[in-house]
Amino acid sequence: MKKSVMFRLGMALLIIVALVGCAPKEKPKVTFFWALYDGLTEDFRASVEAAFNKSSSDAQVQIVPVKWDDMQTKLTTAVAGGTPPEISVVGTRWILDFMSTNSVDEVSQYLSKATMDNINPAAMEAKVKGKLMGIPIAAGARILAINNDIAKDVPKTMEELEADALKVTKPPKAYGLFMVGKSFTELTDFAYYFYAAGGNFFETKADGSYGKCTVNSDAGVKALTFMAKLALKDKVVEDKFTSYTRMDGHPLFYAGKIGYVMIGAWVDSAMKQAGAKFPVTYASIPSFAGEKPAGLIITDSIAFFTKAKNLKAAGKFVDFFYQDAYKGKFDQLVGFPPTTLSAAKDPFWQSPLFQALNAAALTARPWPLVDGFDTLNNEAWKACEKVFQGQASPKDALDAAAAAVDKARGM
Amino acid sequence: MADATASLRKKLWNPEARLAYVLLAPTAVFLIAFMFYPIVYVFVMSFFRTNKLSDLVRFVGLANFIDRFHDQEFWWAALRSLIWTSSGVAVKFLAGMVIAVLLNVRYRGRKAARMAFIIPWASSVPISALLWQWVYHPEFGLLNHTLQVSGLWANPPGWLGAPLSAFIACMWVDIWIGIPFFALVFLAGMQSIPQELYESAHMDGAGPIRSFFSITIPGIRELIQISTLLSAIWTFNDFNVIYILTRAGPANSTNILITSVYMNAFVDLRFDWAAVQSVVTFLILTIVSVIYARFYFRQENN
Repeated sequence: MKKSVMFRLGMALLIIVALVGCAPKEKPKVTFFWALYDGLTEDFRASVEAAFNKSSSDAQVQIVPVKWDDMQTKLTTAVAGGTPPEISVVGTRWILDFMSTNSVDEVSQYLSKATMDNINPAAMEAKVKGKLMGIPIAAGARILAINNDIAKDVPKTMEELEADALKVTKPPKAYGLFMVGKSFTELTDFAYYFYAAGGNFFETKADGSYGKCTVNSDAGVKALTFMAKLALKDKVVEDKFTSYTRMDGHPLFYAGKIGYVMIGAWVDSAMKQAGAKFPVTYASIPSFAGEKPAGLIITDSIAFFTKAKNLKAAGKFVDFFYQDAYKGKFDQLVGFPPTTLSAAKDPFWQSPLFQALNAAALTARPWPLVDGFDTLNNEAWKACEKVFQGQASPKDALDAAAAAVDKARGM
Repeated sequence: MADATASLRKKLWNPEARLAYVLLAPTAVFLIAFMFYPIVYVFVMSFFRTNKLSDLVRFVGLANFIDRFHDQEFWWAALRSLIWTSSGVAVKFLAGMVIAVLLNVRYRGRKAARMAFIIPWASSVPISALLWQWVYHPEFGLLNHTLQVSGLWANPPGWLGAPLSAFIACMWVDIWIGIPFFALVFLAGMQSIPQELYESAHMDGAGPIRSFFSITIPGIRELIQISTLLSAIWTFNDFNVIYILTRAGPANSTNILITSVYMNAFVDLRFDWAAVQSVVTFLILTIVSVIYARFYFRQENN
């Protein structure tokens, strides 16, 4: 009896070992944190995931949708916890922070030559000391969109924009200009005015590295003073503007209540989704009188995370995704001009919006690629909010912001 | 001496105790792994300079504490935490008591009313906060729309856009979520008080107010104490409401200690500063709890 039980157990063990040995080897799994840009649909995300998983014999991808506002926290937590995704969409300006902890890898070693050759060189903002640390996924200059039902004039300077906004403001039906008065994850809305005043966020040292924060320069004070004047004295911005982040407030433009808005390439698709019917003119964001044209261009990239397991498989997925059938469709959904040379040939990109985006890109400047960018983002926003709330003068608020940024960067 | 050791061993290592250790072991392992280890690690972290992934880089002694204590915003956040907790708990307590009394009265539809009052407590806090975010929306929100169409306020403010109104608006959401807890606990306590006590008091000429203060309150005193302590801890640590509604703005006006910890850790990536604030928060709550517990047990012993 005992012998029989032992025999049965032994046979069962043998069968299990044989089955495990014969079981198909699991394909390497690639996790991709996918930013939920305006315009992207769940159907598209699922279709990319399914298409790759069907076509690939040696890798599987899981595309994890992440809200843009949560992306940095989610990534930081994942990386700090030792479980980063293989690849993720990142703001290109975050890359230096990740590089400082050896968390991201050079991307070109994982991608095919065909993919690399097809990337627009002008979009390779993530090139640090000759190494490409992120492949551009979205790049676009910011522009001025004008609701022609409210405003017709295209301002050439910030001063003209103020005058035009004053002319068309008729609250509560129409406001001249949209202004973000509540902090959110991007500093864009201050940067429009700051760059327009010729500002630089940091002093540049002789070796090209960044020194102390100069957000409190004359340009910074001029920009923030002008913003406060528009909002608090001229009152040409939307009512209760300190309650609006960009996400909360852009629907006011789509609803036809705002004359001028500084916005990104997604404006067209977002207006269509909101059912907006009014005619729109697009133009470059103007500079202050006497200053050189200088808008803002923003790039996001896909970074490869060093400690993830399946980076080669991730490279295969990116090669797959950067085909026109998928990346081209992605670009059209989110509305950003393509970062690949082949997709840019599509007639879709010849519209007035994209002509304006291309014109703005010629003079636009990116964020500084600097360690500690988020502290700058946070502190400059605090300065704006204090001024908007009447708690500090632009000079005092920006001095405090610059001091906090320098302290956080150990300067 | 040998007798004492043998007696202690017998007490701690008898068959019953051994069984207790075995049964407690999984919980103990769980607590050590997920509670004590993180707490100890945060204490250690507060004495180190960290990098952006929260790795310990170098020992700096008390430098992080000195740095934080010299930061005005730290003290403002501490003050806001105090106001946030004390006012929030006080309002929740009073409203919860009133509602419990009303729900304790016999009337038709009492069960439905009890169900209705439990909804804010039963809903997830982030979902409640998101709902209120829409209620407070300056242009499309239910609150401003109601105020306008009812003629009560032609141009109501953007509730989350100004420092004072944002603080009060956040506090209201926290109160709205927290009232049912008090109401249910007090109601449960009130229902356990024998009805005969009220009848006797009534025969002795006591009115409802006298009965309330002389029978109801003493009858639920222990529940009052424990629920107030729990609510104070939860309110002090309430991160979700503020983060979802204002992200600690505008201009830091809704930044309390617990949101400050998050901002330091995940916005500025200064995990060492966040650790200092976590330690301070932990100490404050521990001290309050210990004082409260001593007071509670002393009364119980009496």
